[in-house]
Amino acid sequence: MTAGPAAASGSSGPAAAPEPTRPVPAPDERSAPYWAAAARHVLTVARCARCSTYVVPPDHTCPHCGSTDPGFAFEPVSGRGTVRSWTVVRQSFLPGFRGEVPFLLVDVELAEQPELRVIGRLLDGPDTTLRIGAPVAVAFEDVADGVSVPAFALAEPSATGPGEVRS
Amino acid sequence: MSARPGSKGQVAIVGYAHSDVTRHAGRPLGALAVDTARAAIADAGLTAGQVDGFVTSALFPTAGAHAAEDGVSLVSADWLAQRLGGSPRYVAGFQGIGQIPGSVALAVNAVASGAADYVVMHRALHNPKGSYHANPMRTAGGAQQWTVPQGFFGPLSMIALPYNEYLQRYGASRETTAAVVAEARKNGARIPWSYWHDRPLTTEEYLAAPLLSDPICRYDCDIPVDGVAAFVFTSAERARDLPHRPVYVAGQASSAPPRRRLPLHWPLDDIMAGGTALAKRLWEQSGVSPADVDLPQVYDGFSPFVYFWLEVLGLCPVGEAHRFVLDGGIDSDRPGALPALSGGGALGNGRMHGIPQMLECYLQLAGRAGERQRERATVGVACASSPHFGGAVVYSTAPR
Ligand SMILES: [Zn+2]
Repeated sequence: MTAGPAAASGSSGPAAAPEPTRPVPAPDERSAPYWAAAARHVLTVARCARCSTYVVPPDHTCPHCGSTDPGFAFEPVSGRGTVRSWTVVRQSFLPGFRGEVPFLLVDVELAEQPELRVIGRLLDGPDTTLRIGAPVAVAFEDVADGVSVPAFALAEPSATGPGEVRS
Repeated sequence: MSARPGSKGQVAIVGYAHSDVTRHAGRPLGALAVDTARAAIADAGLTAGQVDGFVTSALFPTAGAHAAEDGVSLVSADWLAQRLGGSPRYVAGFQGIGQIPGSVALAVNAVASGAADYVVMHRALHNPKGSYHANPMRTAGGAQQWTVPQGFFGPLSMIALPYNEYLQRYGASRETTAAVVAEARKNGARIPWSYWHDRPLTTEEYLAAPLLSDPICRYDCDIPVDGVAAFVFTSAERARDLPHRPVYVAGQASSAPPRRRLPLHWPLDDIMAGGTALAKRLWEQSGVSPADVDLPQVYDGFSPFVYFWLEVLGLCPVGEAHRFVLDGGIDSDRPGALPALSGGGALGNGRMHGIPQMLECYLQLAGRAGERQRERATVGVACASSPHFGGAVVYSTAPR
């Protein structure tokens, strides 16, 4: 850093280090469509072009059919799911999240496929009362210009009734 | 049982050494490793010139941004072998699933195959200055792009999710887990080299600790330390001429790769399925059954692992480990109980990975546990890491 007028902060001491910001995703060639859809507040999941299985996270082979050319495409999903577990994060190892604690993370099984599980924040707040099987729906956090991160919010039981929610 | 080709009961541990376990050793980890390895070789009645094999798992298990420097933050087998002299014929590092069982397998296989006659297996763990896991990353690429922007990062939340699943599913509570941690610390307090020597923990202290990632508090996590352990392996035949009673490796099993998931996502069902498969192979491979084990040493780098291991090993029914513990089932001072944390584990010693479990099996089975010596210790199981991402080794006083 060069010292100069631009660094002056009005105080006599050195400027306070800026509060670290939340880490943002660095999309790559494969994941770019996912983050582009998220920016439009659409949740997508990679789907194998050979066997139609949803895959989290996608990489170079399909865990279901074994294809080495799975042609994963990010397809919109309902965003509905059920809570399989949760934790309230009160101390984060990511400095950019230190201003956010406490916050709730939920392990969500998406409605589209058994064991299709993703992890995101529950935006209802850290004191929310939860139970295994609680229905949730996707929500989005706009964290930077053009960057939105999928999260969840508690939802009403689906139209088919709570009896249809996996226990 | 059909006979399997291999080394079962043909390879034994014949000596060991363990450094003090401290927060910061005040000297390079490599220097500590050289001293500890020399002490282990002497303990086995050997000279450095006779040792011709070196194996380890050198993994530095941090999520932080620390540099990994050989001889400082980790100690590879190559690094150690080069500094101990002699003329090594086999030098190898384990990279795979189940660090301690994996490097034990390297040592056993080296001896059984004739690649080496006397093998030093060591494990050196380092606690860097500053936060062990803090990571100032501003962007998340690769696999971390799916979890880090959401704030899911590091081992506390990793273990908190399956732990909470367990509590919710089986009606367990942190009050029970207090008994797990108090048991580990009670036993660790009796161990002279432990970081927690003379420092047991009460249930009240445990329950008063603030939560870090619910339901995990600091006492559920092993504390990062500087420490080194070394063991000497050789054949059952050569072991007869050495000073200490040999402890035989009767079998070993490691976890298969778990279902592909998000980074650090360890659902309870994955842990139990992987662990159950591992245990089945362990009993088949070793020829022992859960009822034969008088010294199970379950892994406890995070306290909930104790429940998971007790259940997958069949030492209590699935979903019942928390009640088993609460009823004194693993109390090392209670006659008839299973002393599953008698060696203090990671919670009672410090972050030495699977070393406390392995060392307790060795010391008790070799009759070298001193004041802590148990009357009956013939078959031990040393567990490491998570049941679905770790391994276990069966040790025996008898060649099988
Ligand atoms: Zn496929």
